[in-house]
Amino acid sequence: MPLSPQIEQERDGVPTSPGNALAIGAPPLESVAGLKGEKSTTQKRARLSARSGLIRIVCFFGLIVILLFGLNAMVNSGLRRITTSQFGVSNKIVQGKINADIVISGSSRALTHYDPRIIERTTGMRTFNIGLNGSQTDMQLARLKAYLKHNKKPKLLVQNLDLYSFLTSHEIYEPAQYVPYLSEESIYAGVRRVYPDAWKWKYLPLYGYAVEDMRFSWMMGLKALVEIQPQEDHFDGYQPRDTSWTGDFEKFRAKNTDGVVVETEAQGVRDFEEILWLCAQQGIPVLVVYSPEYYEMQALTRNRKQVLDKAKQIATHFGFPLWDYSESPICRDRSNFYNSQHLNRSGASAFSADFARRLVQMGFVGGQDRP
Amino acid sequence: MLFNSLEFAVFLPLVVGLYFCLPSRYRTPMLLIASCIFYMAFIPVYILILFVTITIDYVAGIYVERTNGPGRRAWLVGSIICTCAVLFVFKYFDFFTGNFVGLAHLVGWQLPKPVVNIILPIGLSFHTFQSLSYVVEVYRGRQKAEYNVVTYATYVMFFPQLVAGPIERPQNLLHQFYEKHDFDYERVTAGLKRMAWGFFKKLVIADRLALYVNDVYADPRNFNGLQLSIATVFFAYQIYCDFSGYSDIAIGGAQILGFKLMENFKNPYHARSIPEFWRRWHISLSSWFRDYVYVPVGGSQSGIRRWLLAVMITFAVSGLWHGANWTYIAWGVLNGFYLLVGTATKGWRDRVFGLIGLHRETLLRQTIMLVSTFVLTLLGWIVFRARNMEDAWYVVTHFAQGWDFHQIGTEQFLLRQLPIAVASIILLEMAQLLHGKVSVPSLLTRLPIAPRWALYAGFVMVVVMFGIYQKTQFIYFQF
Repeated sequence: MPLSPQIEQERDGVPTSPGNALAIGAPPLESVAGLKGEKSTTQKRARLSARSGLIRIVCFFGLIVILLFGLNAMVNSGLRRITTSQFGVSNKIVQGKINADIVISGSSRALTHYDPRIIERTTGMRTFNIGLNGSQTDMQLARLKAYLKHNKKPKLLVQNLDLYSFLTSHEIYEPAQYVPYLSEESIYAGVRRVYPDAWKWKYLPLYGYAVEDMRFSWMMGLKALVEIQPQEDHFDGYQPRDTSWTGDFEKFRAKNTDGVVVETEAQGVRDFEEILWLCAQQGIPVLVVYSPEYYEMQALTRNRKQVLDKAKQIATHFGFPLWDYSESPICRDRSNFYNSQHLNRSGASAFSADFARRLVQMGFVGGQDRP
Repeated sequence: MLFNSLEFAVFLPLVVGLYFCLPSRYRTPMLLIASCIFYMAFIPVYILILFVTITIDYVAGIYVERTNGPGRRAWLVGSIICTCAVLFVFKYFDFFTGNFVGLAHLVGWQLPKPVVNIILPIGLSFHTFQSLSYVVEVYRGRQKAEYNVVTYATYVMFFPQLVAGPIERPQNLLHQFYEKHDFDYERVTAGLKRMAWGFFKKLVIADRLALYVNDVYADPRNFNGLQLSIATVFFAYQIYCDFSGYSDIAIGGAQILGFKLMENFKNPYHARSIPEFWRRWHISLSSWFRDYVYVPVGGSQSGIRRWLLAVMITFAVSGLWHGANWTYIAWGVLNGFYLLVGTATKGWRDRVFGLIGLHRETLLRQTIMLVSTFVLTLLGWIVFRARNMEDAWYVVTHFAQGWDFHQIGTEQFLLRQLPIAVASIILLEMAQLLHGKVSVPSLLTRLPIAPRWALYAGFVMVVVMFGIYQKTQFIYFQF
């Protein structure tokens, strides 16, 4: 480093940065080339007054702004045309194409645990799963409101619980899944409550896709414009996970040998209450369900009983039942899960079948086993 | 204020517009105000530290020029001590006291560790060094003292290069504040293109690679040898693109306003020896250390012992400049060692190459030298990036073990990022290889306006759509 007396020479001599390979930052562009005909170009451009130069620059940035808005509109339009994947589910919700009798709402546990096709076969009632990956009750509430705005009232809402049901979202998981739907009042309000800067997603072109999303959802939107749909992985809203036990739980347990305490927040409780209140107001019966959770994790959660008691208390207050699957044999068989909170495809099938049978037995729905 | 922020996207056009609208005499004060706003966007109160440094060296510069005899030297020494004291308190206090207490424990003294939990002011080492170079240059008679405090403060605080250089010399920058810079279309567009290239390096390459590097170096023991190797190569490109990207944005931003800042990088990974690497890497700092550390401790004088000492001191101090951690010092010492061993074995290597028929200009010999220099540099980057010496040792001893091609991605860096990371590195290398051989801009300029603008706009859109925006600071801000 210090043995470089020629540095200054080199520095003051030829352009030195790699950027200059593109003549970025080089002296007047044309002067670098020294090719025939360039002299006249240089003279022409030299004549450009400051004013016309400024106009050119403003025009160029105007072009960039137009491109940003244009591309943003194309991406939004493309994503809203998708009929498969999570975007397909959201599109069906806001287009009012679902109109199911039984609607399942909740987090990723709802999304991966309830197979509407199995439930529909047993109950004979049109079933759809609007479970939202990576969501807390606040965003589930926002989605439910959007559903009820565009679709007919269901005959039964199944609200699935998890340990974190009384927590609010502290960040927006996969922001791009909301960006095309920010014109929906409930979704925009829900997102802004979690992330006040979300106005940028709505009003600054491509901000929500380029800045906030690392999954290149904008590419999916552009592909959809030319009718290339993402692979279907949602079936009536249900997303099966063909994954075997990951071992994450063992790592988690090793780090938390004394067990864990799940926090609750007053706002999280209020959000849950609002879901039940909303349904009660609209005369929609609600079934609150704590779907299977791997039994060793149940033992590890020190305040699990308090969380469940709180949920029971709220459900009872609104006159809705709560089904707790904590004692289900499904919970004791690790092969049904891929981690402590989520059932895999076979576990979800077993649970969905059991849940549907119970719905019929308990008289919630008619019962009509179809092949 | 980060260059890669929405705030800067509003700030720069406003400052540029105001700058060219104002009469000349108001431009420097306006730049000073803009620089203050720029700096205060980080931690507002820390601007007071800058004012302290500015005041010390402004006064010292005047008195160094006015005074003769021993008093002149006293003003210089006093200014250096005071300026370095600011740096010491904010950057090195915890490090030195922690090590002192640790040493005391070894000899049986039980001392409490005084902890000053101060957040390091951004870019402190950069503006401190720029300020120091002014006083030294005035002392050496190469620069007249600056009597206008606004101009001097703007020289230290000039916002494009305030927080991460290039570390300017007064001879290059100060006089430019007295020149009238008119709006010049060619210069402004050249500056904008330079900035766009810098943003490409920072947002598309550096911040993307950072996702991988941060995951792996957070706990190297969780990753296999292949991942450790990829992370190390990625870090080499990350730190280069991060810092040279910053320099491009700084130089381009200054260029728009009519200022010419010094170049800071020159394709460092194309170096064929360690000394050559240091002639290409962070040139403004290398030359600073050469002029103000290496030469004064006798590096330019004859005598092998003196030279050895000067090299090792300079590199160790350079390592310490980068951060208050033994890993940085070890990195500096390692590079000094490379340089010494390289110089000592040069004759022997030339003979070996000659014996096997690989003369100086043969492609194979050049390639061997380039690859071996890159590998040695990588080894240095492991020490530089690791959280501590244990982690560095783990990476060095495990990067060749347990390669698993089915397990390449990390939690943050999903595999869909890999093709973009690799493609952008290839584009970077192609641009660097073309450097000096083909002038891409001159080719572009000959195009009619429609395709030319389409290409420029396409490049901007690539940066916008493929950039990573996690509000990550530039790595060198912390130094």
